[in-house]
Amino acid sequence: MIDNKVEESVYRTGRGWNIVAYVVLSLASAIAIFPLIWLGMTAFKDRITAFALPPVWIFTPTFESFKVLIGFRHMELFMLNSAIVALGSTGFSIGVGVFCAYALARFRFRGGESIAFWILTNRMIPPLALALPLFILFQKFHWLDTRRGLIFLYTAMQLPFVVWILRGYFEDIPYELEEAAMVDGDSWFSAFRKITLPLAGPAIAATAIFVLILSWNEFPFALILTGATSRTMPPAAVTFMVESNIHWNEIGAACLFIALPMVVFVMIVQKQFVRGLTMGMVRE
Amino acid sequence: MAEVRVRELYKNFGRVIAVDHINLTVKDTEFVCLLGPSGCGKTTTLRCIAGLEIPTSGEIRIADRVVTYAQPKDRNIGMVFERYALYPHLTVFGNLAYPLRVRKQSREAIKKRVREVANMLEMLPLLDRYPRQLSGGQMQRVGIGRAIVREASVYLMDEPISHLDAKLRAHMRGELKRLQRVIKSTTIYVTHDQLEAMSMADRIAVLNEGVIQQYASPDDIFDIPSNRFVANFVGEPSMNFIECTLKESDTKASLKAKSFEISVPREWVKDSKAWGKGESLILGVRPEHIRMRARGEAKEARDLISGEVWVYQPLGSEDIFDIKLAGEEIIKVRTPAEQARYVVHEMGKKTLLEFDKERMYLFDRDTGETLAQAQFTQNKNKGE
Repeated sequence: MIDNKVEESVYRTGRGWNIVAYVVLSLASAIAIFPLIWLGMTAFKDRITAFALPPVWIFTPTFESFKVLIGFRHMELFMLNSAIVALGSTGFSIGVGVFCAYALARFRFRGGESIAFWILTNRMIPPLALALPLFILFQKFHWLDTRRGLIFLYTAMQLPFVVWILRGYFEDIPYELEEAAMVDGDSWFSAFRKITLPLAGPAIAATAIFVLILSWNEFPFALILTGATSRTMPPAAVTFMVESNIHWNEIGAACLFIALPMVVFVMIVQKQFVRGLTMGMVRE
Repeated sequence: MAEVRVRELYKNFGRVIAVDHINLTVKDTEFVCLLGPSGCGKTTTLRCIAGLEIPTSGEIRIADRVVTYAQPKDRNIGMVFERYALYPHLTVFGNLAYPLRVRKQSREAIKKRVREVANMLEMLPLLDRYPRQLSGGQMQRVGIGRAIVREASVYLMDEPISHLDAKLRAHMRGELKRLQRVIKSTTIYVTHDQLEAMSMADRIAVLNEGVIQQYASPDDIFDIPSNRFVANFVGEPSMNFIECTLKESDTKASLKAKSFEISVPREWVKDSKAWGKGESLILGVRPEHIRMRARGEAKEARDLISGEVWVYQPLGSEDIFDIKLAGEEIIKVRTPAEQARYVVHEMGKKTLLEFDKERMYLFDRDTGETLAQAQFTQNKNKGE
């Protein structure tokens, strides 16, 4: 009897707190989502309604700005550039980073910690401080306005991040598992490939998604180092602004072009991702 | 199946010497335990044999082949790990099949063999489960199954059951011993638990600080310990050690300790290395070889030692007494429960002890070396 009462009161206060939490969370989400809604709306307005002040809430949607982007501004080419650069740099930084992280996690060698820290310091430099030296470097290598230049640069930028995140994951996978595989008849590499890599799979996927988003959205270096042939979407969208007049609807549509593929992509892989994580990493 | 020979094995990690020139031969189909406290080098020795550590110097032979620097996969070994080390992303079947799949055996052969092993270890209903769905005991069964699924030259076990609870451990001891006899495999088993070693091994190698203290059958380890370390490590509760001096005369000999003096058979000490060592001796006597005088028993017998019941622990089938002597030393005494009924066991009361003179040991106080083995062991050797 007493127990029941206690439970009831716990239940009641629990529900009270739930309501407060819902209100706070709803407010926060509204604040976060509002700009996106505005962006989406703007993209479907025509040039005049996009300028209207106070903003128009009810209007007939139009694909005018999308037509301009595809037909006239060649957004599809910028998107291709973005895709190649983002996928390329993600592939390279994960491909190299996995091995760096593994080496730093598994092997105790002289200066290992220092190397790990030095890798991290590369992330501490404000990127724009490197803009001028990089520009000169790219000029000398004839990498200006090339995709391979950007891929190379992004790989270098993302590597520290990849190495540091994955190192932690590899450290969490007991070395004993690889030892067991080696005793069972594997070489070191096949033990790594068949045991460690699948176990680190979800972590690697998560890191890859993150790096992909960073590369896809990167703006300052893309602006400085690319021209007409290799321009990615973020700097391209901005160029629509610096011409004679600002086409807000086109910028809105361009932003949708940038954001949508990533949103869709993450929504698709998310399931995979959660499944991978819950499939059970290692129980200590 | 094969013989394992370890010759002058030496391994250091920086300044720490883990294994200090160990020589060890494990005969074909023999079950050998490496026994010692943590950090004594037993696991390092095992890992060197497995190829998971590279020895600093020395030689390891398995089946008459030098494998000192060979990769683990080229040694034809099976290993059971302390923390199971099951592949978490594979089912029990996948785990058991792993060593066979690596060796590219046919699907049918793998399936047949895995079911055979699963049946032997009573795991058939578990084949589709993932390791995280298993209990500790089941996980270790899978670990053992994965080691024996393939005919290896030698099976290596690194404290395989030390993480299980006491009851399950006792059960697994029996099961492992039975299994080893059934598959007739050469097995090297690392443990810090003397009970595991005593109950399962054909021979035990007791290690301390990277050195083998004694390598002998469980009986000999227990009855004829080569030094104080071995005598202390094996047996529960462990042997009592009392500092004493040997008094010699032409006709008799006696041991004088802080709290007592007892006569000892002269011929026993006379024929041993203890003779003439006088001052620096340690008397060793196991708790079960000390008899407590029953209440009202005649007191005229000589060489009784008086003390006070300090702690009394009834354990059901046997009772453990801590007896405090006049000189503050605490002596452990183990008495079968049916005898304990007749002795004083109220804590704080006086009691009298009698050492079994056939079963006393003498050790060197400085080196720990056994100077005089128990008298009964001499008769035992003659009998053989």
